[in-house]
Amino acid sequence: MPSHQSLLLPPFTFEVRTDIPLVVDNLKRLYGSRLVDMASYPDYFVSVQKAEGIRRFYRPQARFFADQQEPFQPLQQQQAYAMLEWGMNWCVATHEMQYVIIHAAVLAKDNKAILFPAPPGSGKSTLTTWLAFHGWRLLSDEMALIQPHSRTVIPFVRPICLKNNSITLAKQWFPDAIYSTVASDTHKGDVIHLSPPESSWQQNKEPAEIVGVVFPNYRSDTELDIYKLDKTQSFMQLAQNAFNYGVIGNDGFVTLCQLIDRVAGFEIFYNDLALVAEFLQQELIDAGR
Amino acid sequence: MQGASWLIALIKEPQLAATVPKQDWVLIIRLLRKQQLLARYSHLFRQAAVFDALPAYARHHLQNAEILARKQCNQVAFEASELVTLLAPLKVTPLFLKGAAYSLALGASIGQGRTYSDIDILVPKEAITSVEQRLALHGYFGEPMTPYDQHYYRQWTHEIPPVRHHSRGTIIDIHHNLVPPVSGRAPDISHFLTHLVTTEQGYQVLTLPAMTLHSIIHLLFNEEFKNGFRDLTDLHLLFLQFKQPAQWDALFELATATGFCTELFLACRYCRSILATAFPDDFYQRLERQHGVTKNQAILDFAFKRVLAPRHPVTDNWQDKLADTLCWLRGHWLKMPVSILLWHLIVKSSRGAMVAVLGKSYFEPERR
Repeated sequence: MPSHQSLLLPPFTFEVRTDIPLVVDNLKRLYGSRLVDMASYPDYFVSVQKAEGIRRFYRPQARFFADQQEPFQPLQQQQAYAMLEWGMNWCVATHEMQYVIIHAAVLAKDNKAILFPAPPGSGKSTLTTWLAFHGWRLLSDEMALIQPHSRTVIPFVRPICLKNNSITLAKQWFPDAIYSTVASDTHKGDVIHLSPPESSWQQNKEPAEIVGVVFPNYRSDTELDIYKLDKTQSFMQLAQNAFNYGVIGNDGFVTLCQLIDRVAGFEIFYNDLALVAEFLQQELIDAGR
Repeated sequence: MQGASWLIALIKEPQLAATVPKQDWVLIIRLLRKQQLLARYSHLFRQAAVFDALPAYARHHLQNAEILARKQCNQVAFEASELVTLLAPLKVTPLFLKGAAYSLALGASIGQGRTYSDIDILVPKEAITSVEQRLALHGYFGEPMTPYDQHYYRQWTHEIPPVRHHSRGTIIDIHHNLVPPVSGRAPDISHFLTHLVTTEQGYQVLTLPAMTLHSIIHLLFNEEFKNGFRDLTDLHLLFLQFKQPAQWDALFELATATGFCTELFLACRYCRSILATAFPDDFYQRLERQHGVTKNQAILDFAFKRVLAPRHPVTDNWQDKLADTLCWLRGHWLKMPVSILLWHLIVKSSRGAMVAVLGKSYFEPERR
């Protein structure tokens, strides 16, 4: 049964078509009331479809389309839901040029936000999950949308993407949270999506002010080591994690410079998440009081 | 008015944008994105001073495209200067064609907001190998392709397989003619080479009439019309740049000398009927007299008015699809002698048949 619905994910709206039941089920489960019948002003028209021909039956595949464009190679059909999530990220990362977009998780307390820019494998999503279910507000797991020439970050609340070992950890910590089915054997390994707490969803239109930038590195043998970064180091790390920095040019450069000028930057190596949370609270959230 | 009619109306009179019902923008933006025309329309709306009056939804998507187009324009200027410098030791001055030429030479009009995926240059045929080698030395390599395609390019076409810069990803199409020699219609390229100008920044491009004729040939002496409407708007905007009678004469004479009068006639005919482009009376009459309406005109009109319209699968009907097929057949017919065409179609359709049975993605390796 082909499904045709809309996702209200401020600041964007997606119209989603799919003929894959797995995708429909996961969408309903993870997005809840954000999945509506038909929204009036969709920004992007996305679809995940069963591949045609023999691939319908023999090792079935799924294909992602952003309207008429097909940016990715087909994937195994059991990975279709993850593919849709990545496809929606692709739409934003390649089209949205009016925010400075950093590949970073964003979490906030009292509307004071911390950016966690990091390449895959740094433990960012595990940290995000832990904080989001311990009283922090999730603004994004993947993309920080920063208003140019400001420290304001706009939420883009979406499910958190967990990989491999962190799936088991998250399920141990938060057995009652809402998880998608597992997409196994993807280019990132096994992948699951986790719906953030309802409170984060409900505040998905409330911007926050960035007070710190923390580059996380999970190290199994280190409780918590903290290094303060100088401005050059912070800037370079931010720029390396920026999606559209090269396209938007001067606005992006100035915004990142101003940000680094005004907020503290840290690199942390850790395996104790409670200690990390304590550090963030004291050093970045309480400090401004 | 439907989305497609709005696209046509808005290029003729951009100020009408202020009167578009808010809900209609959804389909308009979708069609413009498909046709890669968001940035061009955005520029037209700004010129007509209606941009700020548009709904936030429309402004948002138009502005995103503007920023991307501006970046591309800067990038092209950089890439062009790289190419000129790289080829200078070979005593080769690249002639920039199509999209890149619009940006470099006509940045204030047709170049504004025009987006494209590769940079086309023309170099003398005898220099092709040395150009290819020199670019390879500097990091531009060919993409993987089947031996058949590789052979087809080099044997029968007017260009060599595109090369791509290894880190920046820029794709360069290197041509030695404007039309594939296999068609038997490739002009003596020296006709075009008497219509060269150098831009203020020192880039070599075709003069306005020659550039326009190339754009016409590219659109109408072809079998695919994915961006048919975009290309028609290119022509419309190019024609708007014609200021002197001598330019119209040059266009007419170049088309005659190179044997592309039919294409010129069709281009003018459809620009006029679809976009109401204005032509000087004597030019148009002379063209009609010279070329005349052929007995197949009704079929051509049926097909071209559809493939050159702002199309999108969500609005297509069976007539649109029939038109695509007719133009695809006509394009192949024009471009290849029957013997080569048959072989080409056998190779391509055996693959097509496999795709039909096994699915497109059968050939695509799964990403791991």
